[in-house]
Amino acid sequence: MRRLQLSVVIPVGKRVDDIESLHHDYRRGLDRCGVTYEMIYVLDGDRDEGRQLAALRARGEPIEIIKLGKSFGEATALMVGFANAHGARLMTLPAYFQVDSNELPKLVAAAADADLVVAHRWPRRGSRFEALRRSAFHGLLRLITRQSFHDLGCGVRLMRRRVAKEITIYGDQHRLLPVLAAQQGFIVREVEVAQSPQDEFRGHYRLREYVHRLLDLFTVFFLTRFTKKPLRFFGMIGSATFAAGALFVAILIVQRMVFGIPLADRPALLLSCLLLVLGVQLFALGLLGELIIFTHAKDLKEYKVADVIEAPGRRSERKGGLAPEADAAARVPDYPGYPKATSG
Amino acid sequence: MSGVRSSDDTRIDAGAATAKRRQDVELSIIVPLYNEEANVRPLWDAIRSALAPTGIAYEVLLVDDGSSDATLAAAAALPAVHPEVRVVKLRRNYGQTAAMAAGIEHARGRVLVTMDGDLQNDPLDIPRFLATMEQGYDIVVGWRHDRKDKFWTRKLPSRIANALIGKVTGVPIRDNGCSLKAYRADVIKKIPLYSEMHRFIPAMASLAGPRLAEIKVRHHARRYGTSKYGLSRVYRVLLDLLAVKTIIGFASRPAGWFALLAFPALLISAASLGASFYRLLALEQPFSTTIAGLGVLFGALAFFLTMIGMIGELVYKTGDSREDRLSMLTAQRVTAGSDAAVADEDRDET
Repeated sequence: MRRLQLSVVIPVGKRVDDIESLHHDYRRGLDRCGVTYEMIYVLDGDRDEGRQLAALRARGEPIEIIKLGKSFGEATALMVGFANAHGARLMTLPAYFQVDSNELPKLVAAAADADLVVAHRWPRRGSRFEALRRSAFHGLLRLITRQSFHDLGCGVRLMRRRVAKEITIYGDQHRLLPVLAAQQGFIVREVEVAQSPQDEFRGHYRLREYVHRLLDLFTVFFLTRFTKKPLRFFGMIGSATFAAGALFVAILIVQRMVFGIPLADRPALLLSCLLLVLGVQLFALGLLGELIIFTHAKDLKEYKVADVIEAPGRRSERKGGLAPEADAAARVPDYPGYPKATSG
Repeated sequence: MSGVRSSDDTRIDAGAATAKRRQDVELSIIVPLYNEEANVRPLWDAIRSALAPTGIAYEVLLVDDGSSDATLAAAAALPAVHPEVRVVKLRRNYGQTAAMAAGIEHARGRVLVTMDGDLQNDPLDIPRFLATMEQGYDIVVGWRHDRKDKFWTRKLPSRIANALIGKVTGVPIRDNGCSLKAYRADVIKKIPLYSEMHRFIPAMASLAGPRLAEIKVRHHARRYGTSKYGLSRVYRVLLDLLAVKTIIGFASRPAGWFALLAFPALLISAASLGASFYRLLALEQPFSTTIAGLGVLFGALAFFLTMIGMIGELVYKTGDSREDRLSMLTAQRVTAGSDAAVADEDRDET
């Protein structure tokens, strides 16, 4: 049996356009790609679109519908979709018009020599303010991760199975998928695609959205830089705080000893000792983090082996049974870092 | 290893298979390479000529740590001609420790030797490492007693660092920075290696209580390429050292470690509270909110640290190191079989 080449996962969450016209639009675009594909709609919680989709399915459309028990967020919906996909490659599409579906073949073409392809809507419509907000977010991200992306908000991505298997995202971390993939050493490419004429930003972001994006940035910062060395992160902040506190205390003691300023009724003493205490607490948290890393080091392997090159005929037993034409999915368990089945 | 926890029949089979496979390769030499294109070929030639007279069955694992130059191409050309060479390609640059860990994971030998890819270590020393291992040691570390480096920027900081590491970890080694080390595979494969822990492998290994020897090795100045070390990592080494101390000293009883940290805070707290009440009651001065506040603050710190220790216990209980350590000790009992091993056994059970 020929293996399915592409699985398309469409998470249906808060923002949804008319699902029927969207589906037909995607079908047109996907048919042009020249690959065999399946479409998986993941309903994030109880949604009305379920009925429309069921009707589409009844009419013979090649779709699968997965319903989550409650709303878990787009990233979780994607992960569930990936887990149920059969294709060699996985594509994510938003449940609303974002890109011109005629552009989908571009992604498939670009995926030949990349592990993950993300769409970058360009040229882009929208107000100055939106453009500014976007570039601020991506600029900050570049500063933190030294990775350059332009449109992480775009839900159109195409990846190898391996990418989805090795990266765990949840909640609304779907935007960070390319960042985390690049961090894992996957080859990530951005492809410029035309924006859909129906892609319109309605309403405005509330303050909560900004806070969430900031927290996203912080998550990335921690995940990409310090997961393996918590003491460096906490230790750095902790020692800075501790040093500041110690300096204050020293100044106060000098003032007491040399200038005779009584110490007992100075709130400044309390403040400086608070800094000392905070410093020690941060350090302690860092040590705790180190303990976690040490005791769980087996599950948290930090490196990924891309390939083992050895003389033919001397292949190791771990790869021995693998036929050369075996697909990427079957290879995954051979790579360290992928959670292995525990024995016993 | 996979058969250890399964049923008896399969264990015997797996054990026999493992023993058979092990006979193929006695020694694995692991060399992390990062942008060493000019060194790959000379390195392989040096290893080959050093090991040819010994007649030992060996393999060389060249670990390409995401090099941006032609290192991978140079290394990948070797296996087709010389089947002893295997190349492990990492997906990107992860650093020396990760590269070593990858090599250790893929190694098949009974004894593993790690060395630098920049020709500063001399493969001619390897047979001496093997001879020392034969005497029953689990880890043999090299000591570059005659280093060809600048004194002020390289040798002096390294000497201070080694003294400090030895003092703090209780594993006195004169040269932790020397990459040329030999390990019994059973021991090293169970030690978690991450971050920049390669410097602390002997200290980490002391968790398992293996026998450790130190021998002098030759050291050459760098011939090709540039050095990737600098002074800038002092603070990182210090923090890592503290982490290692926490792990090797207290991983199995974190509550004790944090209680130890909490003790000074508790003392300060008691002193401040005592002083403020003494002022109030004995000297009949007005009550000092500041000093009493200090007492409460440090008391809270001591409490906080104790609680962190509790979480630490929880972490340790749910982690995998406990089981690992036990299996490591078991492996040692089986392999060593000398008087020293018996003594170890007695100690473990008390």
